[in-house]
Amino acid sequence: MYPPLRLDPAALMGEISAFQRKLTAGMDNLKHQLEPEYANTPRELVYREDKLSVWRMKGQGKPTAKTPTLIVYALVNTVWMTDLQEDRSMVRNLLEQGEDIYLLDWGYPDAVDRWLTLDDYINGYLDRCVDAVRKAAGADAINLLGICQGGTFSLCYTATHGEKVRNLITMVTPVDFQTPDNMLSSWSQQMNVDLFVDSMGNIPAELLNWVYLTLKPVRLNQQKYVGLVDILDNPKELQNFLRMERWIFDSPDQAGEAFREFIKEFYQQNKLIKGELIIGGKPVDLGMITQPVLNIFAEQDHLVPPDASRALGRHVGTTDYTQLAFKGGHIGIYVSSRAQREVPPAIHQWLSTRN
Amino acid sequence: MAEQANDFLKDYQAMAQQSWDAWTRYLQQNSPSSNPFGGGASPFGSSSTGDDFMARSMAALKGYGDWLQGAASSGLGQGPADWQQSLQNLFSNLGGQPFANAFASIDSEAAKSFGQLWQSWFQANPPGAPGMKFDVEHFAAFGYTREKQRLQQALTAAMQNYTEWAGKYQTLIQRANTEGFERLQGKLADLTDSSKQIESLKALYDLWVDAAEEAYGKIALSEEFRHAYGEMVNAQGRVRQLQQSQLDAWCRDLGLPTRSEVTALGKRMHELRREVRGQRGAQDNDEIANLRAEVAALKRQLADKPRPAKSAEKKVPSRSGKRATDDVVAVRRPKAAPAVAARKSVARGVKRK
Repeated sequence: MYPPLRLDPAALMGEISAFQRKLTAGMDNLKHQLEPEYANTPRELVYREDKLSVWRMKGQGKPTAKTPTLIVYALVNTVWMTDLQEDRSMVRNLLEQGEDIYLLDWGYPDAVDRWLTLDDYINGYLDRCVDAVRKAAGADAINLLGICQGGTFSLCYTATHGEKVRNLITMVTPVDFQTPDNMLSSWSQQMNVDLFVDSMGNIPAELLNWVYLTLKPVRLNQQKYVGLVDILDNPKELQNFLRMERWIFDSPDQAGEAFREFIKEFYQQNKLIKGELIIGGKPVDLGMITQPVLNIFAEQDHLVPPDASRALGRHVGTTDYTQLAFKGGHIGIYVSSRAQREVPPAIHQWLSTRN
Repeated sequence: MAEQANDFLKDYQAMAQQSWDAWTRYLQQNSPSSNPFGGGASPFGSSSTGDDFMARSMAALKGYGDWLQGAASSGLGQGPADWQQSLQNLFSNLGGQPFANAFASIDSEAAKSFGQLWQSWFQANPPGAPGMKFDVEHFAAFGYTREKQRLQQALTAAMQNYTEWAGKYQTLIQRANTEGFERLQGKLADLTDSSKQIESLKALYDLWVDAAEEAYGKIALSEEFRHAYGEMVNAQGRVRQLQQSQLDAWCRDLGLPTRSEVTALGKRMHELRREVRGQRGAQDNDEIANLRAEVAALKRQLADKPRPAKSAEKKVPSRSGKRATDDVVAVRRPKAAPAVAARKSVARGVKRK
């Protein structure tokens, strides 16, 4: 039997002094930090409509892949998570493997976009972006790589516009929106989303960020910043930290109508897996997806629990279904060093046998 | 011996406090308008970004710093004393720190700003005229201002409802706080059976974070939390909606455009865009269908015609310089993307007409 705490007064004094010393010294470093840049992989504009842009990403050499891949990110946060910094860029990594990568940047909706619906986003914007990539690449069909909510959109799109999609990759994508461990889903169940959207209009990004922080309040509101003190004297680590902070908090508002529909149809009624979803008058049946599907999810994902993604295997119509579990979280799957080693090569390998 | 230890702790506490105060002063002195990241020379750009970052990091770090000081001066883990009692004292003396700071921010930004909004609204628009002694909220409304009275009454009731649900939500957060501490005690008790010991405050803090998140996670997934959370959000929505109604009425009185008018305009604009896009798509589809029918008819004609001699065929070039059947192939099997090819075909079809 041992006492669980053995705290030596002198050691404690040293610990506290060290903390305060680091903090004080580190403030100077914070003052002289420039706005952290993203990786900014060279790119060219392929298509622009309203607030969205489609970029063709450029690698060192010409792509060897015959079929282009369009990355479809969620409406929350920005697609630059996939190209965060040079040594943490899924996009660069895929380009190096020879893939031909296009990014869909949804932009920042404002009051004019308040009435955009899921039909506008999926059968409108996304369809025209896919057409733009097909035209640019001279391809009949392209690969879609949907991330998070963008993965859900890609599923809906592939189910209804299958002729334009050759292969589908989903990453940390919610499919079953009512798994027991889904905190966001639980919180949304009793929300009067009509009242919420009617009174808010567009949903402010700041409010959504606040909701995400409250999924793990102590870790994300405090422990993370306590940890910051340890890297204040390391310029590179500090820049990485600040870059991530930029990405987390520099996020778009949500178009009110699309938000209303997404919460109602997906979170509250779980229609995607029930086969009851209709978008723009078109039934969305996951069974109609016969393309090869690669479903990647993160085992420690607190936003999209793994079971919410795993459900895809039970509902998708294809006979060529591959599932990849990544040891990490919702963000780590793009930026951790393990992710750099494992995820893009796995995507490339999977695609190379199907293009 | 005990006195020596006390002296040490007092000295230490004084040193820690001085150090913290110095750091705080440093921040204040080095900041234009009390904000080291704000102002024109700020590398962070807008002052609001700096403010947000500053507020967030400062609150978190201050909470942790206070906790460190409290822990160090509590005598925790520094002798054979009852560690559970010491731990209890530490957390209760600090008012639940650092939990209070971490969880307090749960309802900071969005909820706090909302709270401030309606409180100031409430002050500006008291439910009854000064000196009124009766229960305005439940008083039957009548007369020329009946509608305004009704709206004001509804707003007052909605605000009270929000306060009630926000209180229930806070109670659950406090429960998470308490259960987090109990879990921490449990985790520490588990260590007594092993040779592992906590030897730094950071390690104790990290263990507490694990415990707190576990407790919170369990409560946050409960039916009770789901209900309170939903009702709090809904109550907030009702207050916001009624405030907007009142504001709309004032704007109308002043001849200003209202939120509901702007919203209606936006809605109609999107409906029109969809209609136009739909018509354009339908028109394209009709033209493609017509073109296909035309091509099919041509093919039938060609098939019905007796095959001319080879020399005769050479003398009848198509307008484009290609054989008509080449156009057929281009439409049915486009080299470019189908939609684009189809549009080109339609354009050609229109020209021919």
